[in-house]
Amino acid sequence: MNKTGKNHDEMSHNEIDRILAAEEELIPSSGFLASVMESVREEAAAPPPFPFPWKRFVPGMILAAGVLGWGAVELVRYGLPALREISLTPPQISAAVIQPLEQAGWVAGALAVSLLSWLLSRRLAGRSGLL
Amino acid sequence: MIATPKNATEDLADVNRVLAGEVEAFEGIVRRWQGPLINMAWRYCRDRGRAEELAQEAFLRAWRGLAQWRHESSFSTWLFALAANVYRSELKRFPTVTVPLEAALEPSGPAAQHSVLAAQLSADSVRRAVLALPLRYREPVVLFYFHEMDLSRAARAMGLPEGTLKARLSRARALLRRRFPRLEAEHAAMEWAGKEA
Repeated sequence: MNKTGKNHDEMSHNEIDRILAAEEELIPSSGFLASVMESVREEAAAPPPFPFPWKRFVPGMILAAGVLGWGAVELVRYGLPALREISLTPPQISAAVIQPLEQAGWVAGALAVSLLSWLLSRRLAGRSGLL
Repeated sequence: MIATPKNATEDLADVNRVLAGEVEAFEGIVRRWQGPLINMAWRYCRDRGRAEELAQEAFLRAWRGLAQWRHESSFSTWLFALAANVYRSELKRFPTVTVPLEAALEPSGPAAQHSVLAAQLSADSVRRAVLALPLRYREPVVLFYFHEMDLSRAARAMGLPEGTLKARLSRARALLRRRFPRLEAEHAAMEWAGKEA
């Protein structure tokens, strides 16, 4: 940048400083203090916020985790042999595989429902400000 | 806005009383800081009614979080940082209506520069143009000039390193200069008019 350009920038820089620094002061309206104190008194008089029900939530979470874990184990137990059978004997699906597959399907369905209900409860709790 | 040692002592006493359960002691804090907090909010939104609403919200948050003031900084520093957070988040939720920076009018016509009214209009245009800056540049400008061009206080209020704030201020000024290229001509004209008078 040449000297003229620098002077130009400094000048407008100073002018911007001058304008933005010279701001007129607002005087608070007469009712402002009373309004704030009224809100504060209301807050002070309000009962304390509803505490998050950890005592109920934790056993529920443990139970849900247990169900999910058990479901995963079951899925592996029934699903893997079924998959193996599918890969080894694709044409014989009907007889040997259908039952384990059906069971695996139920387990997967139960897992999905558990997951959905867990997500839903989290979302509801979040909206209510509990989380 | 002045944080005097007397203010600091009174703030500390009032905070202790509030924390001990004396709700009415909070009035002293509001009385001392209502002006600065409203003026700070005004610079964020340029709407008087909204500025008071924002300041009220900031006081309520301060009331709720008074126990979180750790005395590591002065009470006013803590309060200004809290207020800046409140204003920032509230204005993100409900933004003020601003014109784009490119649409901010620059007063033109050298003949008009000699009147006080023209100077006021020009200053008002620049102040309104600040609101049209992107938020990351707008807030440093607002807080820097609110804190009487004290870089470290503005940086503390924003929770940013001074270097970052300085860089953003520089970029904001460049944007404003680009938008108002005739500012220096106006300034020179006004000085000349003053000398002539």
